Amino acid sequence: MEIKAIGCEPLQLKRMHIENGHTLKVYRETGGYVSLKKALEMSPDDIIQTVKDSSLRGRGGAGFPTGMKWSFVPKDSPKSKYVVCNADESEPGSFKDRYLLERDPHALIEGMIIAGYTLGASTGYIYYRGEYNYLIAVMDRALTEAREAGLLGENILGTGFSMNIHTHTGAGAYICGEETALLSSLEGFRGHPRMKPPFPAVEGLYASPTVVNNVETFTSVPQIIEMGGTAWRDLGTEKSGGTKLWSISGHVKKPGVYELPMGYTDMEKFIMEDCGGMLRDDKKLKAVIPGGSSVYIMNAGQILGKGVTLDYEGLVEAGSMLGTGGMMVMDETVDVMETTMNLSEFYKHESCGWCTPCREGTDWMVKIFHRIAAGNGKPGDAQLLLDICDNIEGKSFCPLGDAAAWPVQSAIRQFPDDFMKWLDKKTNGSITANV
Amino acid sequence: MSTELVKITLNGVEVEAEKGSVLIDVCRDNGEHIPSFCYYKDLDPQASCRMCLVRIDKMPKLQTSCTIKVTDGMAVTTRSPEIEKAQRSMGEFLLANHPLDCPVCDRGGECELQEVIFDWGDVEERFTEKKNVDPEKYLSPIVANDPQRCILCKRCTRVCDEWMGEDAIEAGNRGVNTVIGTYGGWLNCSQCGNCIEVCPTGTLLDGVYRHATRPWELDQTITTDVYSSDGMQLSIGSRGGEVHRIVARDRYVNGLNGEFLDVKARFAHEFINHRDRVKTPMIRYSKGGKLIPATWDAALELISQKFGDSSGVVASPRLTNEALFTLRKFAEATGSSLAVSDRGDMSAFFANMTAPLATHRDIRYAKTIIIIGGEPEEEQSFTAKQVRQAVRNGGAKLIIVNDTPINLKAQAAKFVHIAPGSYDAFALAFADGSDVSGKLGVDAAEIGAVRDAITAAQGDVVIMVGNDLSPAAQAVIAASAGGFAGDGRRVLLHPLPLYNNSVGAIDILPNARQIDEVIASAKALLIAGSLQDASALAGKDFVVVQELFLTDTTEHADVVLPAASFAEVDGTFTNNAGNVQRVRRAIEPVHQSKPDWLITGGIAASLGVDLELESSASAIFRALADTVAVYEGLRYPALKDESEPVQAKHAVNESVDVTSAVNDLRTSTDSLPENAEKITDTPVIGHKLHRLTTMTSKTPQFHLLANGNPKPANLLVSPLVQFDADGKPKEEGFEEAAAVGIGDRILVNITR
Amino acid sequence: MAAVRPTTYTDEVVYTDEVAEFSPEVVEEMRSHLAKYPPERSRSALIPLLFVIQRERGWVDNPGVNFLANFLNLEVTDVWETATFYSMFNLHKVGRHHIQICKTLSCKIMGEPGITEHVCSKLGIHPGETTEDGKYTVSLVECLGSCGTAPMMQIGFDYHEDLTTEKVDKILDSLK
Ligand SMILES: Cc1cc2nc3c(=O)[nH]c(=O)nc-3n(C[C@H](O)[C@H](O)[C@H](O)COP(=O)(O)O)c2cc1C
Ligand code: SF4
Ligand code: FES
Repeated sequence: MEIKAIGCEPLQLKRMHIENGHTLKVYRETGGYVSLKKALEMSPDDIIQTVKDSSLRGRGGAGFPTGMKWSFVPKDSPKSKYVVCNADESEPGSFKDRYLLERDPHALIEGMIIAGYTLGASTGYIYYRGEYNYLIAVMDRALTEAREAGLLGENILGTGFSMNIHTHTGAGAYICGEETALLSSLEGFRGHPRMKPPFPAVEGLYASPTVVNNVETFTSVPQIIEMGGTAWRDLGTEKSGGTKLWSISGHVKKPGVYELPMGYTDMEKFIMEDCGGMLRDDKKLKAVIPGGSSVYIMNAGQILGKGVTLDYEGLVEAGSMLGTGGMMVMDETVDVMETTMNLSEFYKHESCGWCTPCREGTDWMVKIFHRIAAGNGKPGDAQLLLDICDNIEGKSFCPLGDAAAWPVQSAIRQFPDDFMKWLDKKTNGSITANV
Repeated sequence: MSTELVKITLNGVEVEAEKGSVLIDVCRDNGEHIPSFCYYKDLDPQASCRMCLVRIDKMPKLQTSCTIKVTDGMAVTTRSPEIEKAQRSMGEFLLANHPLDCPVCDRGGECELQEVIFDWGDVEERFTEKKNVDPEKYLSPIVANDPQRCILCKRCTRVCDEWMGEDAIEAGNRGVNTVIGTYGGWLNCSQCGNCIEVCPTGTLLDGVYRHATRPWELDQTITTDVYSSDGMQLSIGSRGGEVHRIVARDRYVNGLNGEFLDVKARFAHEFINHRDRVKTPMIRYSKGGKLIPATWDAALELISQKFGDSSGVVASPRLTNEALFTLRKFAEATGSSLAVSDRGDMSAFFANMTAPLATHRDIRYAKTIIIIGGEPEEEQSFTAKQVRQAVRNGGAKLIIVNDTPINLKAQAAKFVHIAPGSYDAFALAFADGSDVSGKLGVDAAEIGAVRDAITAAQGDVVIMVGNDLSPAAQAVIAASAGGFAGDGRRVLLHPLPLYNNSVGAIDILPNARQIDEVIASAKALLIAGSLQDASALAGKDFVVVQELFLTDTTEHADVVLPAASFAEVDGTFTNNAGNVQRVRRAIEPVHQSKPDWLITGGIAASLGVDLELESSASAIFRALADTVAVYEGLRYPALKDESEPVQAKHAVNESVDVTSAVNDLRTSTDSLPENAEKITDTPVIGHKLHRLTTMTSKTPQFHLLANGNPKPANLLVSPLVQFDADGKPKEEGFEEAAAVGIGDRILVNITR
Repeated sequence: MAAVRPTTYTDEVVYTDEVAEFSPEVVEEMRSHLAKYPPERSRSALIPLLFVIQRERGWVDNPGVNFLANFLNLEVTDVWETATFYSMFNLHKVGRHHIQICKTLSCKIMGEPGITEHVCSKLGIHPGETTEDGKYTVSLVECLGSCGTAPMMQIGFDYHEDLTTEKVDKILDSLK
């Protein structure tokens, strides 16, 4: 698997290949904790302005401007405030945070301390997905190092600012990546999302003001402080600032984690050249899910020769979304009915069960898919699936419902043949489903 | 909630609404029908069923009207093809895995899901896959559960948590596998049954009533609870002279308690049609002999011969006001002395009130609540629920003063843990700041802090007084309350009496004397109900008892007259908020029983005494209202609507002189030990529920019984075990009971 | 006083009042989790502590749940509602080695079906089952964040990536 930067200096990936990059010593030797020192000399308002200038958008999938999120935290609240890192990374196709957590834990710690100082929070939690348990030991060691070096705890670097950071684990629930469900889980409850408003910035963990950010979002912060907001932004485009990590998997020769400047052109070049092209040379590109399973699937025609730029705007224009940057590439051996069924099973399994459309809709869709795969598809099934999606989309309690609907909707629209051959009584007997 | 009005546009029409009110309520108040399942006015919103979707201008998606607070200028559409499709699709989703077994479902005819779907009429069934299945089970002897019918509105888990503070039932598993249940499958709680009541479908069911009749075959009679002094409104479902179930479903009742009831009110009704009821008058022809069934004429004839001079009357605080008033008239006409068979008499509280009584609504919206003594979650469960919600949903500050760390303490901002039985000392310190910290085991500053909390409060302050306080303590607290009122602060009082009509007895029988005196001085006695301690009756010349069952008291009776239960009579009870509420006859008096007032009237007639009362409950009430100042002007028609309870006019004094009470407190405080050891165990909810409040004069002995076997057939709510004042069963069967695992909880089935 | 609990209500859990006991070191470890949260928010430690229970007792068993309820001052039903939400907690006994094969999209298209087939035939069980000797349980699970190194499986907390049948053989053979 590849880990490398293309089209820019490695920033996020700076320490990926440096031996012992996860230790405080090497982190410091490679410029670590310089930004913290600088930030602690700035005023919180200046930091927020710098982050706003960088046009950093949250890397967890929703892409909300980070500077703006931070500015929502009430300054005069008498309650304690919290900074929470979302290391739940459970979106199928996304695995970038795992490498940051494993090989550059101090970058996250530094980012979180800067956020804590900016927002007046004295406690931070890093919420790991339960399966990443082995990474917690890495972070606990890094936290201990930082504490011993006076970078965490009481009176950080003699500035009077105090903060502590703890690791916390989930236990197998995709929905806990959704920030309010994450907070429920962090409080020891079932991982159900909460009503918004109030937003976490006002009432989050323990009903106190809380900022939740993705790992990559926090690790961007020290870079932004170091370079200055606009300089960091200018690595990318006006609206999509900086660089971005992409997780690439599926039928490419060199799957891996790639750092690209925002606005990288173009998607075809990235897949066909940078990632080594199709895994099997004789198989053509058929489909790409560009941003993690929760975005629209694209067919080859939407990509090849279209000059799709890799940033928030470019992917929307091309008919999908950037999401978490978890790109899954599929060649022509793939049957999109089956891959869609696979994702539907995922969403059914991960639906928290709180609201009606998502809970019942995902179950219903899977039942239909299984019937189709068993050779009992009916011509009306595609329409029924689309209508179920329509009845979920925009009506569920949290965005997981939408995420369950989009892959199905786009698959049926972009790959009608793959569905129709299952639903057409004349042919479906001859196809063996891989289930 | 502010009363500021805002204007919103609803389907193109401008309407006014209270600022901050919930959109779904506003729509409904304006005649727009919006389906909903998870929305429940009195609970935290959860917005999970997604039925109540509407469109609001300038908002991107359809919005759940249950979560939107109206703001000025909001433009709302509740009817459009888009909205109808969304709502119907939610109905379709809910039915996907829901069995279509309405014909055999116990909720058939009362099911909210059925109602919504039937209202739409033409529902196309597109779900043709296999439905998920989940077997039916019992969560307790009285709570049956059919998980397949569950739509996960979670009203049950929310009432359990928010109303009861018990958290006994929760959701388990995830996604489409989510179930409502408990660890181990056993509902470990006070068995209040509110989860059954609020369940919109046939998922949680009354295990006692199950499969008994269809709901539409029942006559529904709205009446008042016969157990607690909260005066909860409920509906008796009866058929053919038999009571089948009791519910508070607000489709029948719209009383002060909404859909809230507790285990006694809801389930402990089998006594009404129980086979052990006294069926005919009974006479004991010679002392020490047996009670022999007799005719009414023979019984009254005997009474007319034997009921002579120096007589006494004992009235139960469970009787209707009408029965109590008739007993009073009887005592006056025959020159008898009169007593109330009550423990924890609260007349001193009422005599010294310097602030008005709080209604239950006042409690729910109070900003500060102080509970001195008492244990409302056991004895006044609805009051406890209002307190809990005032704190949880309304942000009220709760201060508890108690010698026991009661469960409500979990909600309290401050718990003043005093030494056992030192309420007199507390009352003294509370009223005049005396330093009695040694006796209380609490710093003087803490008592000062309680006073400061009141004087600093904004909004309503409710001071609750338990029936375990001495008369002097009650008097002093009631007398000092008024002095705390101030700018922006109303001070209200709320007593916590034990019985359903304790307050009526105080109002109607102001001249009642101590029961020991009355029994000691009388040769002949008329006792309506039973006594806590019947032993004093030994050696009396002649004892007449009006009762439902044979009890310790009837063992001393020469004549027992069969009395009708609350389900068989018309009348009124007065609750702890001073609300005078109707009791209505749901079934004819069973066997040869008669309403108590009619029995007493018959005795008077046989003695040739004229009580000057007409022979109907409404006429007696009219006479009562003309005599008792607190009830002045009241008539049955004015009490018709249970949604607008009428408060009696309890006198609020400007100020009262409590010098002698204070002196009493000083004396008793002096005799308290210094630094007594404190009670540290929190009692389990339900430890009294099943005994003290059910063990009372009128229906002294019945009890919720179950032997731990889940089948409802083995559940008995029946008069089989008598209890002592300390809660121990009296009957020999107790050893047997203990062997099966008798706890502080639901007891045991001891069949005779 | 202990609640009276009939054991006949459900076949899910046969409830007992037995409370698990742990060594002082394990209790110390549990306290170190508690220390991360404000004292009045001890429920926050529930998930980390459930993992400790699972590690120590093999699965989240009844005595373990009773212990946690006491330790965190919760009702057993509170522990149950949380534990059953998360797929990593086993409320039923599992094998000593819990083999979890990722079946989500990238792994699926990169060869998961062959790996599952291989593992299952080697152990003689189907996904979701435990070998008779109680040594292995095989489960199919959703994406584990290893899509770039698909196909993959997790045994206990250990990731095994870029799987081939030969690699699987080696891994299984190395398990004790
Ligand atoms: C169903 C769902 C799953 C999500 N999973 C993740 C996740 O695994 N990691 C993550 O960082 N954000 C995830 N998010 C996004 C978070 O809700 C939230 O937007 C993010 O943590 C905010 O951080 P950011 O602004 O830095 O992106 C998810 C959102 C949804 C709706
Ligand atoms: S979830 Fe639904 S019905 Fe329930 S209250 Fe809301 S939207 Fe309404
Ligand atoms: S799809 Fe298998 S690890 Fe992601």
